[in-house]
Amino acid sequence: MEKQSAFNIYPMDQFIIEPILMGENLEWYSFTNQALWMLISLAAISFVFIYGSRKHQLVPGRLQSVAELMYFFIRDMIIDIAGQEGLRYFPYIFTLFILILFGNVLGLLPYSFTYTSHIAVTGFLALSVFIAVTLIGFLKNGFGFLSLFWISSAPLALRPILLIIEVISYFVRPVSHSIRLAGNMMAGHAVIKVFAGFAGALGLGAIAPIFAITAVYGLEMLVVVIQAYVFTILTCVYLNDALHPGH
Amino acid sequence: MASTSNNDAVGMPQLDFSTFPNQIFWLVVFCVILFAIVKLFIIPRMEDIFANRRKIIDGNIAKAEEIRIRISEIEKQIEEEIGKAKAQCDDIMNTSANNVKEQMSIALEDSKTATSQLINEAQGRLEELKDGSEAAIKKISEELANEIISKISRGK
Repeated sequence: MEKQSAFNIYPMDQFIIEPILMGENLEWYSFTNQALWMLISLAAISFVFIYGSRKHQLVPGRLQSVAELMYFFIRDMIIDIAGQEGLRYFPYIFTLFILILFGNVLGLLPYSFTYTSHIAVTGFLALSVFIAVTLIGFLKNGFGFLSLFWISSAPLALRPILLIIEVISYFVRPVSHSIRLAGNMMAGHAVIKVFAGFAGALGLGAIAPIFAITAVYGLEMLVVVIQAYVFTILTCVYLNDALHPGH
Repeated sequence: MASTSNNDAVGMPQLDFSTFPNQIFWLVVFCVILFAIVKLFIIPRMEDIFANRRKIIDGNIAKAEEIRIRISEIEKQIEEEIGKAKAQCDDIMNTSANNVKEQMSIALEDSKTATSQLINEAQGRLEELKDGSEAAIKKISEELANEIISKISRGK
């Protein structure tokens, strides 16, 4: 990034995965900047959830109430959407939520790396959700799970057409699920980088670009939380489809 | 390409498939560790905090109920005591009124007998006086008569 000069803006450079620590070549096991930020995210999660609530306070302090807020937010969300049965899958969904949330939020720090901006990561998560939900659907309901695609409340003539639409939309789920998150993360960071490039080029007179960076940064603060929420709530919706396909 | 520590991103680094095995490897490691943390530390701790809070709230509600019952008991007791005190008060008032009446009647009786005695005495004295005066008149008149007689007889 030191190579930048004048109007040479490389907004996508921040997403390059580079091996650090072990050699120059990227092998499948190389410790990369992405892995480093996953580690930092682990540390941050441990800090908030383990250090923050170490005292088991009855009336929570600042960190503990943050932890409780997230915990019970997801817990209530699962109960609201997927019902009491959904609580069995709470540990998985909660893991997913804090993984994405902390990745998104830490990605907003200058010089950080946003692992959730990579389609490989979000794609893997979305595919895991897709496969898990499909398996749960078949294990819980047997072939009754297929009634998800046969809309019994629609007129009989429309049902074959709806079947095709439903099947397609079902298989598009992991794609939209993953691209929505990665795309949002990538776009926001790239926009900030572009404005930062303008600011760098304009030097001391860069009032407008810095104002724009501030505005976009504020928007991104909102977006990163919302996207983590959206990913989680969609997971809950898919889980609900698997648990109660009749609806 | 990005895979060879070259700093120029060609297109989107996200679509550089040569980095995928590495990304997925570290993501899986990360997920497993994170899931272990969630399962072993976060959930037990949060549930513990929640259960504790629930327990204390329930305990406080139970205590409040207990106190409410005790308060109503105490209220009942107070009413009982007030009733008793009222009865006692009436009792005392009645007995004292009776006492006063009795004493008054006794005093009245006493004064009656005393006055009748006094009247008797006075009547007796009056009788005496009457008798006395009659005798005195007789005596005086006798003396007077004697004197007159002697005067007359001397004058002659």
